[in-house]
Amino acid sequence: MIIFERHTLGNGLRVIAHHDRGTPMVTSNILYDAGSRDEDPAATGFAHLFEHLMFEGTSNVPAFDEPVMMAGGENNAFTTNDLTNYYITLPSNNLETALWLESDRMRGLDLSEGRLSAQKSVVTEEFRQRFLNQPYGDMLLLLRPLAYKVHPYRWPAIGIDISHIEKADSGLLRRFYDRYYNPSNAILSIAGSVSPDEAFMMAEDRFGHLPAGGFNGRMLPAEPAQDERREITVHRPVPAAHLVMAFHTDGRKSREFYILDLLTDILAGCDSGRFPENLVRSKELFSEADIYLSGEIDPGLVIFSGRLKNGVDIRKAEEAVMEEISRLASETVTAAELEKARNRYESHRLISYLNASNKAFSLAFHELLGDAGGVNTETEQYMSVTAEEITAASSRIFRPSNCSVIYYLPESK
Amino acid sequence: MRTAPAIIIPSPGDTSFPEMTRLSNGVPVCLLPNGTLDLLRIEFVFNAGQLMEDVPLAASATNAMLTEGTITHDAASINDLIDRTGALFNHTADKDKAGLVVITLTRKLEEVMSLAEEVLFHPSFPEKEFRMLTDKRLQSFLTARQKTSAIARETFYQALCGENNPYGRIITPDDYGALTTADLKEFHTRYYKPDNMYITVAGRNPDKAVSVLERHFAGAGTGKWHKPVMPELTFESASPGRIFREVSNSVQSTVRMGWKGITRDHPDYQGLQVATMILGGYFGSRLMRNIREEKGYTYGIHALAGAIHRIGYITIMTDVSNIYREETVNEIRKEITEMCMNEVTGEEIALVRNHIMGELARMFDGPFAMAEALRGIIDYDAGADYYTRFAETVRTMTPGKIKELIERYFNTDNAFEIIAGAQ
Repeated sequence: MIIFERHTLGNGLRVIAHHDRGTPMVTSNILYDAGSRDEDPAATGFAHLFEHLMFEGTSNVPAFDEPVMMAGGENNAFTTNDLTNYYITLPSNNLETALWLESDRMRGLDLSEGRLSAQKSVVTEEFRQRFLNQPYGDMLLLLRPLAYKVHPYRWPAIGIDISHIEKADSGLLRRFYDRYYNPSNAILSIAGSVSPDEAFMMAEDRFGHLPAGGFNGRMLPAEPAQDERREITVHRPVPAAHLVMAFHTDGRKSREFYILDLLTDILAGCDSGRFPENLVRSKELFSEADIYLSGEIDPGLVIFSGRLKNGVDIRKAEEAVMEEISRLASETVTAAELEKARNRYESHRLISYLNASNKAFSLAFHELLGDAGGVNTETEQYMSVTAEEITAASSRIFRPSNCSVIYYLPESK
Repeated sequence: MRTAPAIIIPSPGDTSFPEMTRLSNGVPVCLLPNGTLDLLRIEFVFNAGQLMEDVPLAASATNAMLTEGTITHDAASINDLIDRTGALFNHTADKDKAGLVVITLTRKLEEVMSLAEEVLFHPSFPEKEFRMLTDKRLQSFLTARQKTSAIARETFYQALCGENNPYGRIITPDDYGALTTADLKEFHTRYYKPDNMYITVAGRNPDKAVSVLERHFAGAGTGKWHKPVMPELTFESASPGRIFREVSNSVQSTVRMGWKGITRDHPDYQGLQVATMILGGYFGSRLMRNIREEKGYTYGIHALAGAIHRIGYITIMTDVSNIYREETVNEIRKEITEMCMNEVTGEEIALVRNHIMGELARMFDGPFAMAEALRGIIDYDAGADYYTRFAETVRTMTPGKIKELIERYFNTDNAFEIIAGAQ
């Protein structure tokens, strides 16, 4: 149970505070309700580019990292298709410095061309390092446009094409910034050795003067139901073939999310799961076989990802995966499997509570979903999943016509 | 209110560790209390790293096989038993040590420790699982062969330690084929013993775990603990200069400059940490500001001074587009020369000092974090007061001392200059 309090400032900034007495540190986590799904298809990668620009300083703070370091803090950020998240963890007596910095860069970013050009180049190198210079690095770049035809989840956070970043100008960026970076589009979560009263007072001091923004709500095109199997084959210089299969699911707020989260744990969450046991050990088709949820807020994907053993035919391998998952629709998982998944959930939840920063993000994320209290009621969601629900969800999801497949094959020598 | 708040100079707080206790057979146990959740983290560390192996890959393979079958349970049932408890069993195998980190709900401790004893002391190394694991490891190895960063790393250790040394040996696909379960059984018999280990327990009321550990790790016939005997090593460093390794089709190159460094017992070791951080150890470091923030050549560039058993290393590494690699080498040299010519500013030292104080505070933020910090101290006999001394070194660091350390340890005429990438 994470005990927290919530307060909304006049300008719409939602503030959540959790008092953790077991640490001398505090985390200030600020989540912006802006991800790559909010981008114009002709200008993608902006949400992530902002994650870089936010560290570039303002007229008040020329180098963002310096005050953070002076205060003994560490900070980082990440961008997903749904959101952009920034955090600073530092000794709790320096919390005010973190809030000052966040408030300053919420509205005061310097978006002049000079600041921009180096970060555009850094992001281009990031793209090369993470997606092009890694074996199998482009697999997920291929998957999105295959699985999505309409919804902006069809591009990854890095963008559809790196040329969008190269072409970004300060006018376009200014519009994105003004629209999404403001108090009414953000959630501030403070977790650590600071009382909620103190946290709220400091938040009011540091953010209260900022004007509320105008953005309220988004209208994204819904992805139409997929009605036939999709398949692509690519050849790359890799040592072994890889099979990816993605099925459309409901979104993060649905009951189905919890059912599938538990199910994917039963299938591949641990060494005794069905995939390691059957596909890897017993049939020896794969050297690794995983299945996981993309976890996005709008309807997302459940993704099978498996590295084939040498000499195995990829279509045979795919059949074996389909056989495993078809079995889920015809016979219920066992009580022992469910029990194991629940126990593992309980340990993982507690482990994630070891860090105040994890708690800060979880609170902010659940507030984005609609209620920070979800962080506590979620356990009940997981614990109440039944074998029958798993069977029903499996028959709905794991249909060939709902599946996008990538055959990622080694180049023939 | 738009003015900057006053910054309070961070203090690392108490950076000492509790005294070691011992099981009745002498196995050292360190208890790290004050957890706030009903979880325990138990780590078993054996003197069984890469350093101890006669046969290439034996150390990491032995460690990975621990949960692949025991004398009483096959792989499927041992994994099922572990997974039912909800506990995490994380294998750890590095250059010097190997072992297991177990995180469990406190109420499952007895059951989980009995499984830990079973996998640590009674693994069976079955052939089928061994063959599958070897195939999987070979595939990962072949995948890594295409990463410029991995090729540059192995080239650096080879240049630093020599290829006849367990740290510098270059692994080939044939090594995977040559390894046998007999090699692993022998390695296990020699090194996975109570007389070659220590244990840390972190969480809420770790003292309650002692009687459980006593039962599983100090029983009859487990042998009396003695201080581990470390092997003598011979280092044959290559001559400094450019080493190019071709990785065809790569869109980026890894640039890795490196030097022989110093070990933790050297009086300069702690000061060198500070100097290296100013050069390339944080987001706003000299190298990051120049090569990432101004030039945009890279996503990141890092400098590091570390040490393994009997040898220290210093390295600067970055991944850049092929066209930028020569320019990057020049810029790295320029930044080093600059630090040898001109003293760093007091502000820069203050920045890094506060940053390190904050890092120390995070390392001592709760028993789980402390258990990780403790590894470096015990593994390298660094002394229980290591971090207290480090905080003092950092507080008293001067611009003159930084310049002296950079001049002494970052000699650009004497560097390994490794480039892995397309021709």
